Amino acid sequence: MNQTLQTTRDDHLIAGFAALAITIHIAESALPSPLPGIKPGLANVVTLMVLCRYGWQMAAWVALLRVLVGSILIGTFLSPTFFLSAAGALASVGVLGLLFAFSRGFPRWAVSPLGFGVAAALAHMSGQFWLAYVVFVPHSGLLALYPLLMTLAAVLGVVSGLLTRTVLGRLKKPLPSTP
Amino acid sequence: MMGFKLSRGDGLVWLLAATLLAGLYTAFWQADGHGAEAVVLVNGKRWARLDLFHNQDLEVPGPLGHSHIQVRDGQARFVDSPCPNKLCVHTGWLSQGGEVAICLPNKVSLQILASDPRFDAINF
Repeated sequence: MNQTLQTTRDDHLIAGFAALAITIHIAESALPSPLPGIKPGLANVVTLMVLCRYGWQMAAWVALLRVLVGSILIGTFLSPTFFLSAAGALASVGVLGLLFAFSRGFPRWAVSPLGFGVAAALAHMSGQFWLAYVVFVPHSGLLALYPLLMTLAAVLGVVSGLLTRTVLGRLKKPLPSTP
Repeated sequence: MMGFKLSRGDGLVWLLAATLLAGLYTAFWQADGHGAEAVVLVNGKRWARLDLFHNQDLEVPGPLGHSHIQVRDGQARFVDSPCPNKLCVHTGWLSQGGEVAICLPNKVSLQILASDPRFDAINF
């Protein structure tokens, strides 16, 4: 019995970009972090780049696959780290979806990687922070950290937006997505 | 390399983000447990409620005369009171929720209010 799974070109692109994002994700997890919850978010550059080149659906696939497979490879799957990461990714993918739709709907107000980066970073931080606060450490002292973490997230969001723009500028025109 | 150029959409997103951050700082960094208001009682009745971030000087009338209360940058104190031992004045600046200074002879008291007071009770 020989069954072949039909794959589209988009599937291959998603797999390739997810692999790239996972590699960066794992490399980044080896970096020491001064504060729990703070990471440069370099893997998010891949998500942003895919968003700008191929649209939201593929970006969502890449982001969520990265969290899932990344955690399995690092060994944090189903641990608190994984849930925090997943909450952040879901929030960020959701906000990116809204912004992307807004960008499409109002071309005069189109958002570029610089806007996407900041929004994604803030959403990611909020997602993981509120999960941490509600589920893991429901202590009001944690709330005092929230504005600070969000400020750092915004700064790192600008950085990832700039990186994304640089990467996009050096890439060739995207091939049209298969229908 | 492209210059540092923001599109109108980016400007909007950044503006919203900045508003959000400002809102977060005011919402979560409003001096916690650090009272933002104080209450002045004369003869056990509320005489005034003070915003501690509105600098002012008050002359509070009591049976012996006027007690001078000062509010500066989130703190309050008795500057002077017509009492013999000036315990209220020596209490000094009050800023933590629940802290209190009382001038018994002049029946004037000053207490910092807070939703989450630093002290449950204070004994003298």
